[in-house]
Amino acid sequence: MLKLIATRAILGLATLFAVSVLIFVCTQFLPGDVAAAVLQQSATKETLAAFRRELGLDVPAYIRFFDWLWRALHGDLGVALTNGRVIIDVIRPRFANTMFLAGYAAIISVPLSVGLGIVAAINEGRPIDRISNIITLMTISVPEFFVGYVLIAIFTVELGLFPSLATVDSDTGFFDRIYATTLPALTLTLLVAAHMLRMTRTSVLSVMSSPYIEMAFLKGLTRSRVVAHHALPNAAAPIITVVALNLAYLVVGVVVVEAVFTYPGIGQLMVDAVTKRDVPVIQACGLVFAAVFVGLNTIADILAILVNPRLKYRR
Amino acid sequence: MTTHIQTSASGLTDDRPSASGLIVDRRELLAGAAALGLSTAFAGPALAADTPKKGGTLRLGMQGGSASDSLDPRTYADSIPIAYSCALWNLLVEIDAKGNATGELAESWEAKPGAVEWIFHLRKGVHFTSGKEFDADDAIYSINLHRGDTKSPAKDVLSPITDIKKIDASTLSITLSGGNADLPFVLSDYHLLMFPAGTTDFSKPDGTGAFTLETWEPGVRVVLKRKAGDYWKPGRGNFDFVEIRYIIDAAARTQALMTGQVDAVNRLDPKTTNLVMKNPNINVVRSRGTGNRYAFVAHRDTKPYDNADVMLGLKYGIDRQKIVDTVFSGFASLGNDHLIGPTNKYFATDLPQRPFDPDKAAFHFKKAGFSGPFDLEVSEGAYAGATDSAVLYQEALKKSGATLNVKRVSGDGYWSNVWLKSAFCAVYWGSRPTADLQLSQAFLSTAAWNDTNWKREDFDKIIIAARAELDDAKRKQMYIDAQKMISDDGGMICFAVSDYLDGYSKKVKGAEPHARYDLNDERIAEKGWFA
Amino acid sequence: MKIFGHKPPFTAWLGMTIVTVNLLVALFGPLLTPYGESQSAGGTWDPPSVAMWLGADQIGRDILTRLIYGARMTIGVALVTTVLSFLMGITTGFLAAVLGGWVDQLLSRLVDIILSIPLLIFALIILGVFGPTIPVLILTIAFLDSTRVFRLARALAMNLSVLEFVEAARLRGEGIWWIMRREILPNASAPLFSEFGLRFCFNFLFVAALSFLGLGIQPPYADWGGMVKDNAAAISFGIFAPIWPALAISLMTVGVNLVVDWLLSIEARPSGAQAEL
Repeated sequence: MLKLIATRAILGLATLFAVSVLIFVCTQFLPGDVAAAVLQQSATKETLAAFRRELGLDVPAYIRFFDWLWRALHGDLGVALTNGRVIIDVIRPRFANTMFLAGYAAIISVPLSVGLGIVAAINEGRPIDRISNIITLMTISVPEFFVGYVLIAIFTVELGLFPSLATVDSDTGFFDRIYATTLPALTLTLLVAAHMLRMTRTSVLSVMSSPYIEMAFLKGLTRSRVVAHHALPNAAAPIITVVALNLAYLVVGVVVVEAVFTYPGIGQLMVDAVTKRDVPVIQACGLVFAAVFVGLNTIADILAILVNPRLKYRR
Repeated sequence: MTTHIQTSASGLTDDRPSASGLIVDRRELLAGAAALGLSTAFAGPALAADTPKKGGTLRLGMQGGSASDSLDPRTYADSIPIAYSCALWNLLVEIDAKGNATGELAESWEAKPGAVEWIFHLRKGVHFTSGKEFDADDAIYSINLHRGDTKSPAKDVLSPITDIKKIDASTLSITLSGGNADLPFVLSDYHLLMFPAGTTDFSKPDGTGAFTLETWEPGVRVVLKRKAGDYWKPGRGNFDFVEIRYIIDAAARTQALMTGQVDAVNRLDPKTTNLVMKNPNINVVRSRGTGNRYAFVAHRDTKPYDNADVMLGLKYGIDRQKIVDTVFSGFASLGNDHLIGPTNKYFATDLPQRPFDPDKAAFHFKKAGFSGPFDLEVSEGAYAGATDSAVLYQEALKKSGATLNVKRVSGDGYWSNVWLKSAFCAVYWGSRPTADLQLSQAFLSTAAWNDTNWKREDFDKIIIAARAELDDAKRKQMYIDAQKMISDDGGMICFAVSDYLDGYSKKVKGAEPHARYDLNDERIAEKGWFA
Repeated sequence: MKIFGHKPPFTAWLGMTIVTVNLLVALFGPLLTPYGESQSAGGTWDPPSVAMWLGADQIGRDILTRLIYGARMTIGVALVTTVLSFLMGITTGFLAAVLGGWVDQLLSRLVDIILSIPLLIFALIILGVFGPTIPVLILTIAFLDSTRVFRLARALAMNLSVLEFVEAARLRGEGIWWIMRREILPNASAPLFSEFGLRFCFNFLFVAALSFLGLGIQPPYADWGGMVKDNAAAISFGIFAPIWPALAISLMTVGVNLVVDWLLSIEARPSGAQAEL
C-alpha cells in the first residue's frame, strides 16, 4: 500500500509537470499575446513592440518556460505580466474561496445523492425512486447559469431570502460566508447531485444481479440488508470514481456559476488570464487545478482498492 | 476657464410615457428651453435643493475590467480602470456634461495663431497625497510617459506633439507638427493622468484626486477612501468610501441594483432596461447618442468590396431601424455610415439618413454583377449584440436577393486576430471628444486603425486642414464634407449609435448624462453624493 | 404490447413517446413551421399569442419555430458527439484496465492531465487554434468527453478483470480484444448505458456553454442550449422566453433516461431478482 501511495505521489508530480508543459505549449499556440490582449483595439506596431520588450517577451518561448520552471521549483510563481501583482498572493484568497464553495456544495450534495441513490436502489421502481430520478434529471438538464438565474428569481427576487451577489472578502465572517454562498452552493448541488445519485443507484443495482446476491436473497436476508452489506462494498468503485469526478468538477469547473453570482473564485481568474494571455497566471491556476484533481483521484483510486479486496492482491 | 462644473445645470426629461424611472436625455437638454418646458413636472423636484453633502459609501457594480487590470496608465482600455484612476488622479483637461473642454489641473490655455503652439497655465496650490505641489515638471513627465518609446494607447493621439517646454513652474508650452484647434480635447484622454515627476511604480498611487486607494483586488473589488480635508474641487469628492465591484454578468448587475446590493451600475442591458425602469427605486440615466458606434466594416481594397456598387448595396440592404428596435430595444440612434454621433456639433444634419431600400440595394448588386455570398465575421467579443445584428442583416439582405454568411468567431483575441485582418467584420468605435479624433483615427490613409483600408487623398486633406481651421463655420462645412465622403464611398456600414444606460438608486445624486462616457464620464465617484 | 419480448411499464412508454416525438420533430419539423428559422416577425420577447404560440425571442423570432429547428441541430450534434466519445472512452478505458502496467499508467495520466484543465479553457484553446466549425466542435467535445468515459470504463473493467470468468478467458489464451468485447463489455454495459443517457444530455449543455465563448453552433441556426443562453436575462423579470428551450432539453433528458432505465432493468436483471420485486 505504501509503495502504491509513493508511486502515485511521484506520478502526481509528473502529471503536474506535464500539465504545465501542456498549458504553456497551448498558450503559445493561442493567437495573440498579452500585449495585444491588453492594448486591444488601440494597439499599434510600435506600442506592441515596446510592451513586449518591457515584459521580456522578446526572448524565445522555451527560455521563458525553463526560467518559469526553475523559479516555480523554488516556490516562486512569479508576478502577473499584466499588473505585476505577486501571483501567489492573488491566488491564495481566491483558491480559499473556491475550496470553501466546493466544500459547502460537497457537504450538501455527496451525502444527499449517495444516500438517495441507495434509497432509490432499495426501493427500485417505487415512487420515491421514480420521483428522485426525474427531479434530478430535470435539474441537470438545465444549463448551469440558468439554474442560477432561476434560483435568484425565486430566492432573491420573489422571497428576498438570499443575496444574488455572493460577495465575500477576507474580512467576511464564517456565517456571513455561508449565507452569501448559499445560492451558488445550491446551484452546484443541483448540478452534481443527479450524476452521483444515478451512478450510485445503477452500480448497486448492477451488482444486485450477481450470483452471490441471489445467494444472499436465498438465505432470506432483507433487501436493505443485502444492499448495505453485500451489494454496496462491491459497487463502491464506480461510485467513488464518480464522486471524485464531481468533487473535481466543483473545484475546476465552476467558472460559469462564479460569473452568475459574482463569486471571487479561481475560475474567473483563470478565464481573465487566458483572455489577457497572462501566461504565468494561467500556469499557476493550471497547477492549482491539476494538484486538486490529481489529489482527489489518487484518493479515489486508493479508496477503491481498499474497499475491493480483489484489487488489493492484483499487483 | 473655471473648473467647477455646474452639477445642477442639467435638464431632466422623461420622454418615455410608460416609464416611471427617470430618464435624462442629453439631446433634449441641448435643445434648450423648449425641452425643459415640456418636462418641468420631472425637472422641478430633481433640480431643487441639490446641494452636495458629505458621507456614505457608494457601492458601484461595474463591467469593463478584469483580474488583469493594472494601475499603470499605459494599460487602460476599459471602464473600471478609467473609473478608479480619475478618482485617484486628475487630468489636465476635463470634459463637461455638454462636451466642452474645461480646465482640470490646467486652469486655462491659449493657442498662438495657427494653433501650432499652445500655452497651458497650470493650477497652483494643488497637492499630491504625498504633499508635493503639482507643477509643470510633473505635467511634462506625465505626458511624456505616452510619447516616444512607449506601449501607451495614447501614443497615437499624442504623435503630433513635437515639443513640450516648461516656461515657469505653472506654465507649459506645447508645440505641434501641424495646427490643431482641438489640443485641449486631446489632453482630456483618460490615459493622460498627472503623476509626480519621476514616478515609475504606479502600484502605490500618489495623486491629486479626491480619494486614496484603500483596497486593490482587480477582478473583485477596488475600494477608495476620501482624503481628509477639503478636495480642491468645491462640491466634489463627497463619499467617504467608494467601492467598485466587478460584476461582469449583465443580469447579475441588474439584479444587484434592483435588490439594493449596489447603488449604481453601468452598462444596463438594453433588452431589460424598460423593465428595470418600472422599479420605483431606480433611476435610469440615458446618455443618448454618445455611446458606441456599431458597425460592420469591409476592406475597400479587397474583392468584392472594392466595388462601389457592392458597398452601396450592402448599405441600402441593412434594416437599421429593425436592428435598433429589436437588438437595442430602441436605446440607440440610427447610424449613417460614418462615425460622428448625432450629438456632436459637427454632425452632418443635412446628410440624409440612409434608408432601408431593398430595391435600391438589388439595383446596385445587379449593377456590380455580384450579390454574394458575403462572409461576415462577428463576435460578441466585438460588441454585445453583434451576432443578433448580423442575423437580422442576413434576413434583410435576402429581400434584395443577396446572400450573407454570418460567421461567428471567438470573442477571445478578436481584436488581434480578426479586426483589421478580416475583409468584412464587426467593429465598434467608441465616442471621441472631437470630430477630428473620431474621423482621423479611423479614416485617414495613414491611420493605424483604418479598418476599411479606405484611402483617399482629398479626404486626408480636408481633415488636416480642418484641424487648424479656427473659423468654426468653415470648419463645420469641412467636417460635413468629410462625413458625406465616408458615408457615400467608405467601407463602413455604421448602423447604430448606442445610448449609454446607467442605473442608479434614487438616493444617488449627481447622476447625470454626460457627453463622453457613462456613469457621468466615469466620474460618479467624484461627482456624486447621497441625498 | 411487447418490445424485445418485454412489456414496458408506463414510464418506459412515456420515455419512448418523448424520444420518438423529438426525433420526428428533428426530422420533419421544419416542414411544419409557420416562420423561417431566422425570420424576425415580432418584437423583443413578445408574449405568447395566436400567431406565436410561445411568444418571440430576444430579436423577435418565433420561439416555437426556433425550438422545432433547434431539435435537429441539438439532438444531432449531441448524439454524434456522445457516440464518438463512448467509442473512444470505452476502448481506451478497457485497454488500460485489461493490459494494466505502463499502458494503464500512460493513459490514466494523460487523462488526468486533460481532466485537470478546466473544460471550457481547453475547448477555448482547441477551438481557438482550429476554428469553430461544426466538425471541429463535435470532435473537440467528443474528445474531451471521452476522458470522463475513460475513467468510468476503466474503473468498471478493473473490477471485472479480476473476476473468475475473465481470468478463465485469459488462461484459455483468448486475445485482448475478445476479452474486452465478449467478457467485459457485456458485464459493464449497465453503468455505461446509464452514463450514456447522462452524457448525451450533458453534451446538449456543453454546446450551450461553448456558445458562451462564441464557439457553439453558428448563427442563425438554433440550438436549445444557445436559446436558453440568449434569452436567460428575461427570467428575472418573469418572462418565460428561456423556459421553453430549457423545458425542451429537460423533457428530452428525462425521456432518454426513462428509456435507458427500462432497458437497463431488462438487461441486467436476472430472473431471480426480478421475481423478488
